[in-house]
Amino acid sequence: MKRILIVGENIVGSSEHKILLEAKGYQPLLIRDLHSAVSLILEDPPDMLIMDIDFGEKQEGLALLNAVKGCLQKTNIPVLLVVTEKHVATGFNWQTYPVDDILVRPFSPELMLARIQLAEARMIRVFDNNPLSKLPGNTSILKAIQRAIDADESYGVCYIDIDNFKPYNDRYGFSQGDDVILMVARIAVNVIDELARDGSFVGHVGGDDFVFIVGEEKVKPVCERILANFDVVRNMFIPAEDLKVGCYVEKDRQGRETIFGLLSLSIAVVMTGSHVYSHSGEVSTAASEVKHFVKQKEGSNYMIDRRSLKG
Amino acid sequence: MDTKQADFRKALREVKNLPTLPGIISKLTRMAEDPDTTTEQMGKVISKDHILAAKLLKLVNSAFYGFPQKISSLNSAIILLGFNVIKSLIISSSIFELMESQDMELWEHSLGCAVVCSVLAKRLEVSDPEEVSTAGLIHDIGKVAIKMELRRECEALGQLVREKEISMLAAERELLGLDHAEVGGWLAKSWNLPPKLVESIACHHNPTDAKDEKLTAAIIHFSDILIRGLGYGHGDDVWVPPLSKSAWEMLNLSAQDIDEIIEQVEEKLWDVKGFSLEIQSELERSVTS
Repeated sequence: MKRILIVGENIVGSSEHKILLEAKGYQPLLIRDLHSAVSLILEDPPDMLIMDIDFGEKQEGLALLNAVKGCLQKTNIPVLLVVTEKHVATGFNWQTYPVDDILVRPFSPELMLARIQLAEARMIRVFDNNPLSKLPGNTSILKAIQRAIDADESYGVCYIDIDNFKPYNDRYGFSQGDDVILMVARIAVNVIDELARDGSFVGHVGGDDFVFIVGEEKVKPVCERILANFDVVRNMFIPAEDLKVGCYVEKDRQGRETIFGLLSLSIAVVMTGSHVYSHSGEVSTAASEVKHFVKQKEGSNYMIDRRSLKG
Repeated sequence: MDTKQADFRKALREVKNLPTLPGIISKLTRMAEDPDTTTEQMGKVISKDHILAAKLLKLVNSAFYGFPQKISSLNSAIILLGFNVIKSLIISSSIFELMESQDMELWEHSLGCAVVCSVLAKRLEVSDPEEVSTAGLIHDIGKVAIKMELRRECEALGQLVREKEISMLAAERELLGLDHAEVGGWLAKSWNLPPKLVESIACHHNPTDAKDEKLTAAIIHFSDILIRGLGYGHGDDVWVPPLSKSAWEMLNLSAQDIDEIIEQVEEKLWDVKGFSLEIQSELERSVTS
């Protein structure tokens, strides 16, 4: 049951609006004063806020919005602002109204429902996506892995990791490190787009870790192409003098001077076809073990978890 | 600077879209429609066209893709942009409405120059030969911009070249108060291309003016002269530009080196000439269909 906090006069003007919302599994909470509304947001946050632009004094409306948007844990609560044609004609300063969408009066129950569902869907999309690469994040990744496990066909769940990324970041700075992460994201997306578009998935776990899922027969060509493309593009991100030497000296995590190799990629692959694994957590555990081995090899490599192969 | 010259500068700085050879576009359009075409195959064609190559580099170095002033290699640009962006680039590319034989000649000259640059860069063991051949491919991009933006002056330039028997470069300086190398440098800079490309394009007639990229500029400078000497394509005039003595010294090539370089270049030019013929017939096909 999704709870929608509705603040203001006559937003759900007719009983039709309310009936439709309830029929679709929403629980509208109608509140008319700032105090109760903010209390609810603080103590028992709703899943969505719909607020009339003319709610209370101007400052009251803004206070309510800030209660939602000013708190990091609540920024994923979608906010819909109810306005009139007149407001639209005069325009808004969206900096003062940190809302996600507007509803223009008068609106039908169906339109209200569509806007609510769209706001929810968009929030899930936006919030799960990595801000740097714009790729889906952990929630989507876990779902995608589970889908692959449950499917009849066999898929390869492939974990990409950038070797020597931390010393690269220490040496050249975060902004360069971000460029490298973005580069790997684009390479993976483009290769999968070209070689294995249908039924595939690419996600960004965070930092320098990515996951992609492709049909079993596509694992080899996709991994090989990603590694080859990375080795072509990589040199654009490493200064000529370091390329010449082929390594660099940086302090490791214990502060000891260590020789680090240049950037390379490691891909650990787990196949779902043998049904050895039934849960996404098992797949990622198996992949971590494979990653440990593949990262020990020189340069860019991929490795398939043998236990997950059929027969 | 007089107002006329300031007007030229303004017009050239605001150049939006450089047109491409119709034959190249129709070939790429057919390739894009074929589901078996790979990004690599498209890339091979794009990397034979000075204008599309410049556009590709402009795109990959724009803020939207997140790599400003980083990518100077066409292969890397193609890998980072991917098939769909490249397809859109082709759809968004305009073609020369009135194609003159000169456009084809300049295209051949650019392609030939890239071939020589690549041979020279490998022989001189520079760190990234592909970067140098890319710079060679797009070194005359300023000529295309002048042609597009200053159509009226272009006729006068041609006349000046013929009557006074001077090079296009000298005619540009006399009539416009600026030259195509300078214009190419501005364009490359305004497109956020890496400094290496910007500087070597801007200084390809005077490599010693380059601050950090003297060697790259010298390689383009010499390749420009050599390919003209071999009679493959031209850059709107029939004169071979004068060789800069200091660039020549920088390259440090012996007579025997030159013999070997010419041999390697001629071998590679066979491929290029085959491709030229293909583009010519592609053009005829698109005209008749």
